Amino acid sequence: MSSTEQGTSSAAPAEPTTAPESAAAPEVPESFYYVHGKDKVVHKVSAGALQHSALIHGMISNLGYTEEQAKANPFPFENIDGDILQMVVDWCNQHKGKPTPPEDTNLPKQKEKLFDLVLAVNYLEIKELLTYCCKQVAMMVKGKSPEEIREIWMIPTDAEDEAAEKEAKKRAGKEAAGETAAAAGDAK
Amino acid sequence: MMTEMLVILLGFSILLFFQALFAGWEFLKAKLKPKRRFPLLRLPKVVLLECIENLDVLEIIMFSLLSKRSKKISKLIRWNPIDIRWASGEEQQICLKLSKDPGLEWIIHYKKKKKFIPIHSPWKYPCFQSTLLGPNALHFLFLKDNGIEDITQMMEHICEVFRSPICEMHIVEKSLIEWIIKFQPIIRHVCIRENVLTSVESMDRVLKNLEVTESFWLTFNALDAYFQYKEPIPFRCITVNNSYWLTLTSILNGNNSIIRLRDSKLTPTDINTILKEWQMGFKLRNLEYMTIEAFTLLDIHSYNNEVFTNLPNDVENNGRPMTVKIHDEYIYTLPQVPPMHNIIRSDGMILSIFGHYEVSDSEKTKVLLLLQVWGQKT
Repeated sequence: MSSTEQGTSSAAPAEPTTAPESAAAPEVPESFYYVHGKDKVVHKVSAGALQHSALIHGMISNLGYTEEQAKANPFPFENIDGDILQMVVDWCNQHKGKPTPPEDTNLPKQKEKLFDLVLAVNYLEIKELLTYCCKQVAMMVKGKSPEEIREIWMIPTDAEDEAAEKEAKKRAGKEAAGETAAAAGDAK
Repeated sequence: MMTEMLVILLGFSILLFFQALFAGWEFLKAKLKPKRRFPLLRLPKVVLLECIENLDVLEIIMFSLLSKRSKKISKLIRWNPIDIRWASGEEQQICLKLSKDPGLEWIIHYKKKKKFIPIHSPWKYPCFQSTLLGPNALHFLFLKDNGIEDITQMMEHICEVFRSPICEMHIVEKSLIEWIIKFQPIIRHVCIRENVLTSVESMDRVLKNLEVTESFWLTFNALDAYFQYKEPIPFRCITVNNSYWLTLTSILNGNNSIIRLRDSKLTPTDINTILKEWQMGFKLRNLEYMTIEAFTLLDIHSYNNEVFTNLPNDVENNGRPMTVKIHDEYIYTLPQVPPMHNIIRSDGMILSIFGHYEVSDSEKTKVLLLLQVWGQKT
């Protein structure tokens, strides 16, 4: 299981720990890669764990990085919060090389973070985790009344939707008029 | 007198106090409850749809009812076909089943009233309940019955979201006839409840504008006891309660496969005509099974003599099937007794007749005749 280093800069990630050797047959040392989120904290993750992410797996395969190159160039995910990336990395580590069970008890419990987690997981293309997250989202409204569902999922009423649409149209109209005026000014 | 008044007043005050206490507690609970909000509609479309796909049937319905946008989203998903039925008893129910999960049933139950218990919880709608019935799990959503329009709107909504037709419809009041004719005139099962059809016009409207492909169950209360209906009922399987108004002409001109008549006014001579017409082969060509419940003052022997006049008991009972498919969801097992009479048609088809007789207090005998059509296997 790989560790996660916090607070180190992307230029100087810590040395990877070597995998414990089996007494029966020596194992091929595991390769590690490095990722960081918005907070620039670098996480060291094994290639096995990263296989869950179709996006990173594709990047690794396409780039053909050596371990040194990977260490020097952590994958930047500027659109993902550090704590969310940490959750994702933890999940990938916990499920490294294991068949994913139909129900996942290791899913992050922080419901408030679920929205960001879903976005991150979707971006990183971690199919199994996305499936669990979507189930978790659906579970939020178990046994709830329509009004409770509306509140939990922040579903606007038709009137609110219409008002928002009008507002958006008005804004778009204003922007278009502004652009036309600017273009006319440039032409003069 | 004064003391009694005081006691009543005191009781009433206590009731009001508990009600206020309960309302306060509910308010406090709602306020104290941590708000866990999730902006679902801001998710990428594919993810949003995957989340919605994890909802159960009742949750999908509730979600799709929240707004035009939520309905549109719900309609984007290709749900498994759903079995939609309007069932009726004292209260109305919409029963839903997924074809891939026949052991699970989702029921929207429209409650007319509920006892108000102030100290516990004043009944609030909607509310949920799950129960096990043998190997089946039933999930109820209770809603207040605010009238038939609410239920028809809900049916239309469910059909639209799940892209499935109504499978069974219980017509409990006249307005539903026009609604179903307009909304879905071709339907598998229809049951028309008592006091819905009361005139020839309403009967004609149903029979000429609806196409019932499986079973049609009718309770018709003619306003006039001497009323007779001579047109055929144009559906495959018909069950008619209080069928005293249904004439021999109507039966002979029909093309039905299954006919079940309760409280019929068909005489033994009428039944003899049915048997003879079937044997001749020009009428009742599609008949598979027929039951006739009638009452007679004749003794059983005379009754049977009239029924089987000029119809010799022809064939043996070899290879007769023991079951009859009434409709696509009901197979009836026939009594384990030999038929009392067999008639053969020129094409080799056999009509076996079973009889059951019950003498009632009014000196009338209740006769139940079962007519099974079958063919010997070569």
